[in-house]
Amino acid sequence: MNELLLQGLVNGIVVGLIYALIGVSLNVIFGVLRVVNFAHGEFIVLGAYGAYFAQQLLGLSPLLAMPLVFLVFGLLGYGLYFLLVQRLSRSNDPEHASLLVMFGLSLVLGALMLLAFEADSRSLNFSLEPPFLMFGNVILPTTKLLGLAVSVVITGCLAYFLYRTMPGKALRAIIMNRDAIQIVGVDLNHLSALTFGLGLGLAGITGIIVSMIFPSFSPFIGQDYTLIGFIVIVLGGLGHPIGAVAGGILFGLAEQTAMVFFSGTVAMLLGFVLLIAVILIRPAGLFGVQNLR
Amino acid sequence: MLKVDQLVKTFGGMTALAGISLTVPDRSILGVLGMNGSGKTTMLNCINGIYEATSGEISLDGVSLIGKAPHAVFTEGVGRTFQVPRIFPQMSLLENLAVALLNKGLSNAQVAEISAHWLNKVELYRLRHNYAEELSGGQQKLLELARIMVANPKLVLLDEPFAGVNPSLALLLIGIIREMPQEVGCSVMLVSHDLTSVYELSDNILVMHEGHVLAEGNAEAIQKNPDVIEAYLGA
Repeated sequence: MNELLLQGLVNGIVVGLIYALIGVSLNVIFGVLRVVNFAHGEFIVLGAYGAYFAQQLLGLSPLLAMPLVFLVFGLLGYGLYFLLVQRLSRSNDPEHASLLVMFGLSLVLGALMLLAFEADSRSLNFSLEPPFLMFGNVILPTTKLLGLAVSVVITGCLAYFLYRTMPGKALRAIIMNRDAIQIVGVDLNHLSALTFGLGLGLAGITGIIVSMIFPSFSPFIGQDYTLIGFIVIVLGGLGHPIGAVAGGILFGLAEQTAMVFFSGTVAMLLGFVLLIAVILIRPAGLFGVQNLR
Repeated sequence: MLKVDQLVKTFGGMTALAGISLTVPDRSILGVLGMNGSGKTTMLNCINGIYEATSGEISLDGVSLIGKAPHAVFTEGVGRTFQVPRIFPQMSLLENLAVALLNKGLSNAQVAEISAHWLNKVELYRLRHNYAEELSGGQQKLLELARIMVANPKLVLLDEPFAGVNPSLALLLIGIIREMPQEVGCSVMLVSHDLTSVYELSDNILVMHEGHVLAEGNAEAIQKNPDVIEAYLGA
């Protein structure tokens, strides 16, 4: 039992960090733009398809496809901001307006993916040697370890960007006081567009990582990722970019350790129980906006 | 030099500014007095781009500010503080100042040097690594002032800088504002209900009433102006 629990804890941290990556990109967008990106999961799935076709057509390994997907999705996000999101930000109630519009976008993207890629599940042709590593009685697939390492590197880079660079500090400043940032010479529109591009770029990379780790992907799973993303950011604190890391790990640990004792469905249910408990005890999440540092 | 010419601002059917004209010469302080609702803050909001003027012209050193967004007005050299300070609460004091230097193309060492100078000036240097939310209301006003001063503005708009500030911090603020035209080379537009401070600091004073300019002149002339006495100061 102890070995199983240890295995569950290790799996929880690995999966939790990947969940964290989903939440981080979603939270950056919400924190800066106050836009509820309900289409985030679809962009993650599109990232997986991007890696799939980069592999099929260009022979690129998923790891090498990451910078390309980040760039393409970043540019897409930058353009999409001016096409769609900017209008939502100007609304009197951007959260509600964006929730509806982005939910619509989620449906449209899901339908377009279904038309373009059909309903069949697909998998990346990706494996590592050896396929598993043993740590005592704990077994870890090397693809999961790689995914963990990439997630840690990306989250570290994002934390460095937010806390050590000037544009990153400006981005955090927007989260804290949207009005004040404009009166110190920062072009809110430009920085918001960059943020949306950054968020979608990260979503694209996350799509590649999840497709390396989980067995398959299809046009139907986008909303599952969106749901996970929202659970993670509510746990970690809405609008707190790094709080999502704590939320992701917490959710991953709860889900994976519960799987040791219960079925997958019950484990998922326990994740939601955890979410409800955090909302009741600490509505702002573990790192609520009032503690944004 | 700031020139405001026939500035009008309406909100629906309500006229907040009804053709205001004024000039703020280089290296001078213009005090602006007026009761609540007289249009003082609306005028500042029009100058720094928060509101779009309905008509009229605003220019700084011959460059029109009309139609420019707040960040662009800041880039032209106009800094602004608010009655309720708009700081970045969960950032250190140094980070608060650094954000205002984002587009200046300075090295980290230069940013640190300029920030240290102004934090010393407002006597907050020892708290430089503290989060801004830990400061008192008066200290937050000083931080907000330092944050615009690091960018070396040509014109500083101060909205009620003394409101809610304790007497010792108010004295410090008065000293800094007094030195700004000569030491930094900027002009100041000082909006305040604190008559004593406005009389003491201002080279010229503008009194506003219901969106109009009621009187303009130096402190002595304003204090003797019968319209101002009747409207604001009592008999």
